[in-house]
Amino acid sequence: MAEFDPRRLLPLKTQWFHIMLSLAGEEQHGYGIMRQVLERSTGKVRLWPATLYGSLKRLIEAGLIEESDERPAPELDDARRRYYRLTDLGRRVLDAECDRLQELVDSIRVKRAMVTE
Amino acid sequence: MNFARRIYRRLAEAFPHEFKLVYGTELTLLGEDVVEEIARRHGVTGLIRLIVDIAIRVPIEYLGEMRRDLRYAVRALLKSPGFALVGIISLGIGMGMTTSVFSRVWAQMFRGLPAVTDADRLAIPEDPVSYYYIEQYRAQKSLFEGVAAFQTGVPFSVALPGNGHAKPERVFGQIVSPGYFSLLGVKAQRGRVFSPEVDKPGDAPVVVITDRFWRNRLNSAPDALGQTLRLNGQPATIIGITPKDFKGAMPVVPAEIFVPVTVPPSLAPELANAILDDPHAKVFQAMLRLAPGVTIESAEAGLDAVTRRLDDRDSSDAKHNDKSRRVTLLAGGTMVPIPRAMRPVLVGFFVVLIGLILTISCMNLANMLLARGSARRKELAIRLAVGASRFRLIRQMMSEGILIAMLGGAAGLALAYWLSLLSSQLKLPQAVPQELDYSLDWRAFVFTFALAIVCGIGFSLAPALQATKSGVVPALKEGAAIQLRGYRRLGMRNLLVLGQVAGSLMLLLITGFLVLGFSKTGSVQTKFNANTMYLLSIDPVRDGYSREKAQALFDKLPTLLQSTGAIPTIALASQAPFSMANGTVQLRASQAIQVAAKESIGERYFEALDEPLLAGREFAHRDREIKTPMPVVLNETAARGLFGSANAIGQRVTEDRQSCEVVGVVPDLKSGIVDDDQSAAVIYLPLTERDFATPPAGGITLMVRSSVGADALIGIRRQLASLDPNLDIFNVRTLAEHLELSRSFMRNALDTYVGIGVFGLVLAAIGLAGVTAYAVARRRKEIGIRMALGARKGQVLGLVLREGATLVAVGTALGFLGAIAMAKMLSSLTSIFANALNVSTNDPRLLVGAPLLLAGLALLACYIPARKSAKIDPLRALREE
Repeated sequence: MAEFDPRRLLPLKTQWFHIMLSLAGEEQHGYGIMRQVLERSTGKVRLWPATLYGSLKRLIEAGLIEESDERPAPELDDARRRYYRLTDLGRRVLDAECDRLQELVDSIRVKRAMVTE
Repeated sequence: MNFARRIYRRLAEAFPHEFKLVYGTELTLLGEDVVEEIARRHGVTGLIRLIVDIAIRVPIEYLGEMRRDLRYAVRALLKSPGFALVGIISLGIGMGMTTSVFSRVWAQMFRGLPAVTDADRLAIPEDPVSYYYIEQYRAQKSLFEGVAAFQTGVPFSVALPGNGHAKPERVFGQIVSPGYFSLLGVKAQRGRVFSPEVDKPGDAPVVVITDRFWRNRLNSAPDALGQTLRLNGQPATIIGITPKDFKGAMPVVPAEIFVPVTVPPSLAPELANAILDDPHAKVFQAMLRLAPGVTIESAEAGLDAVTRRLDDRDSSDAKHNDKSRRVTLLAGGTMVPIPRAMRPVLVGFFVVLIGLILTISCMNLANMLLARGSARRKELAIRLAVGASRFRLIRQMMSEGILIAMLGGAAGLALAYWLSLLSSQLKLPQAVPQELDYSLDWRAFVFTFALAIVCGIGFSLAPALQATKSGVVPALKEGAAIQLRGYRRLGMRNLLVLGQVAGSLMLLLITGFLVLGFSKTGSVQTKFNANTMYLLSIDPVRDGYSREKAQALFDKLPTLLQSTGAIPTIALASQAPFSMANGTVQLRASQAIQVAAKESIGERYFEALDEPLLAGREFAHRDREIKTPMPVVLNETAARGLFGSANAIGQRVTEDRQSCEVVGVVPDLKSGIVDDDQSAAVIYLPLTERDFATPPAGGITLMVRSSVGADALIGIRRQLASLDPNLDIFNVRTLAEHLELSRSFMRNALDTYVGIGVFGLVLAAIGLAGVTAYAVARRRKEIGIRMALGARKGQVLGLVLREGATLVAVGTALGFLGAIAMAKMLSSLTSIFANALNVSTNDPRLLVGAPLLLAGLALLACYIPARKSAKIDPLRALREE
């Protein structure tokens, strides 16, 4: 598994992308991920609970995220909740997906510029 | 909102165990956390989406689990390919055979007619009746919604439109009453069908063709309607095409064209002599549609009374005082009408056969799964110890069983398909082409497939439960050897093997009995080389000859052909010798009644067959005239049945109100086809002018014996062509070919039985090999100790073989008894079985050979895995502790 090309998993499903984006740089539990996605998209994208946990399960199986054993400070911790974080592979896949989306946006800009000229 | 919350919680609990273990709490928690917010923000739509989301996820998760189980099962099977292969082959053969037997026989008897509406409301009297009677039946409105008449297997010489010079083709069709199609509920796919309102006697002749005729002979010509066919030399207009797959009522004899009874006799010689008004001309089949609420039994009783009344009007009828039932109704809407009394017999036979086959193959599977379950005890114990749920393990083991069942089903389908291809090449030795539908019945397959899956679940469940039941600790400690503790002589496995040995011996013996019996009763020995007799058929009336012209032709034919030289004997007959009887007649002498088969033959028939008469004379040329009493020849059985040991020559016999005088007695000629024992008696009538004017469906058969081989045939063809180039010569073959054809029918049946017997044997051997291999594995440690203490290889081998040998011995004894019992049961069902079984159940080849074969094979199957025991290294076996 030394040289797994992250692009093989692209494009990511929308809900996978949103979950992984929420886990970039921090650990989160399911409820937190849902809240963050909702806020980031100003209420446009809602991860419904069953879809959310189904996706988390599949992301773990695909090796993109893992359960974290570090817990936050006891006063903030809810013992019933599990925390998730990106794996190395997950990070690379997320980067690759971001690059891909960036390229898409770039080509949209170029096209727009050409049309308005 | 509370309602939504409740549903949500319910659904969250419905997720698979593994999913709930990890995510269950959080899923419930999250849902309850957000439900208020969602209701606030999105209202009812939001709540509905919340529920829909979770409701969709439940089955998705289950499918995911199943996929994982299946993947695991595939891996497990790949790891032990021998096990997988044996399982798949066992089940495959079982399912293939079942599907094949079911499609071929079962469906043929019980499948409804294609293109016919409410086929289960149709009934058909067993015996043909006269058109006049059918007209009277029509009046019974309280019994029948409708009544139609038809004659099936009627040959027509058909010249296609626009093809004036091509030779006409011989096509088989039906002559039907105008209400035939509306009674069956069959509508034309193009044009119209007959109807009583439109088609009247005296109209210009019309014909309805089948889809098959239209496609094959008219190349699906779009303008076929309105064109004119020449039928038996007369023009008839095509008015309609029947739906695809419709081959008429009783499609065993498929019809290609349909002609109404309103056509003139010049077109259909079958309708000559005002046959429609003759109450004694019992040549029509009646098709009845039962009125709503009328059962077939009450219809039969009603029809019987009507028939009795009609019979009684005619005081000359011999049946006047006959109290027995005169009409038997059969279900008319099936492929083959089967007497109701025969149904339980047939059903019983096939249920027994199919049951045996499936039981044997499932037993094998169960047996192997049991062995495997105990061998995998250690693996299962480890997985239980690290937290796998028992339910999960059981599910996994069951998916293995189901996977094998599915693969076996695929193999079975392939086998059944191959068998159906084999059977469809089969031809029946009859003048009228018969067609049995050998296509696979998907219902049969679905049925067996479902059964296999049920078996897969059933037979993997017990071993799975057993294997996961044991305590984790002892299983881990002792590993696979745990079974040693509770060795039971009559364990489930041993019972299974016992059943298998007994069952396969039963199969082998029963099929062996039938094969031997059929081949003994079915072989024909001619007193001369059957290759030197040629059979050929002509049918001048249907080639457009008038009555007189046809008679003249047959008058001069023998002398004419003999003049070609090198032809010592030539004879005419209404059917080829050694053919299946064309129905039976009732003969009455002063003292006795005898049912006999009827054959019409010409002069020198017995001379041609090298069968000298026991008494009296053969028919002569003068017997062609119709006179009373009619001269007849009886075979030995018929003569004995009617007159006992008295001299039959000169005695009087009545056949269907016709007075006959016996002029000769011949030895019994075997028909070559196992049939009901009734037809052992035969009455031979002379071919008369009437036969020449309306020949039977197969035409008139010429039997020519010659020593000059095929040259004789060329000479005959040339002679006939010089006589009339348009005369159609058909069914040309040697007697040897004809007999071969008769036997091919029987041989096909025999092949099936042999196949079934061999199948049982192979499966039993596989099962036994499994048992022995398992015993060796189980007693590995014990054997190691024994060998370390100085036991020799032979002793060890004997130890292992003993168990297998005991099972074989007991199973053989049980199977033997079972087979004898079953043979008795089958014989009591029908005389067909009884005849065949009578001659074979005491055949030493079978009684001794079959058990020996089975025992030998079984011991071999034990021996191969048992050899492994001798190779056990005592040091390693003991160290494995």
